Amino acid sequence: MLDEALEHLVKGIVENPDEVQVHTKNLRRGRVLEVRVHPDDLGKVIGRSGRTARALRTVVGALGGRGVRVDLVDVDQIR
Amino acid sequence: MTDGTTAAGLAEEAAPQVTPEVTDEATAEEETPATRESRLARLEREGDIAADYLEGLLDIADLDGDIDMDVEGDRASVSIIADDDTSVSRSLQKLVGRDGEVLEALQELTRLAVHRETGERSRLMLDIAGFRARRREELAEIGRKAAEEARSTGKPVRLDPMTPFERKVVHDAVKAVGLTSESEGEEPQRRVVVVPA
Repeated sequence: MLDEALEHLVKGIVENPDEVQVHTKNLRRGRVLEVRVHPDDLGKVIGRSGRTARALRTVVGALGGRGVRVDLVDVDQIR
Repeated sequence: MTDGTTAAGLAEEAAPQVTPEVTDEATAEEETPATRESRLARLEREGDIAADYLEGLLDIADLDGDIDMDVEGDRASVSIIADDDTSVSRSLQKLVGRDGEVLEALQELTRLAVHRETGERSRLMLDIAGFRARRREELAEIGRKAAEEARSTGKPVRLDPMTPFERKVVHDAVKAVGLTSESEGEEPQRRVVVVPA
């Protein structure tokens, strides 16, 4: 549910919603939600002084993802 | 799009922010019926976009809640309400968060979703489970008490620092009882000062 909620929130605010992907990774340190967006949208999901990224993390935290890390990367970045 | 792709690029674009709290009301009076209609249509469209975005989230998160839309002055206003059911109200509390922290985050994202569709910056107000309505009542009470104090002591009353939204509510409450108030200081330390008549 968390990944789906995050995907919905991000898709609604970017110019290229079709290129949004959210992957859940279960690492030993905990769960990571990795959000990939079109390179042109990375600034948008980060926001001025990281404001949008913080808002996304706050909502994910509230939906039960406390301790879940949210990583924002652009689709061209290599894993 | 020419939007900066880095956080730094966006910071430059959105440089100085003057709070327009005093001019909010004045502009509404001078408009013609035609501009009023198009403004209402624009704000209603903002509400529709916001409602879609929020409804999608409620569905995914399996949270119950009805969405109420309205236009208040020059803003669209959207509320997620609990429909008198206390268990629903309780589950919506997680979307409010401590001191409305999650509510602010959701409002921020909702405004961005509106901006994506309309291309214009939105000043939409989001409320969840009546949080902002209650806060507004508390702030109005703070404003009225400060006005009373200023009146009886004859001295200015300086209040705690508040957000632009909070100051606006206090200014309005002070004005309603016939006193004037101003804001002083720089954000985020900007505060209301109630001036004795």
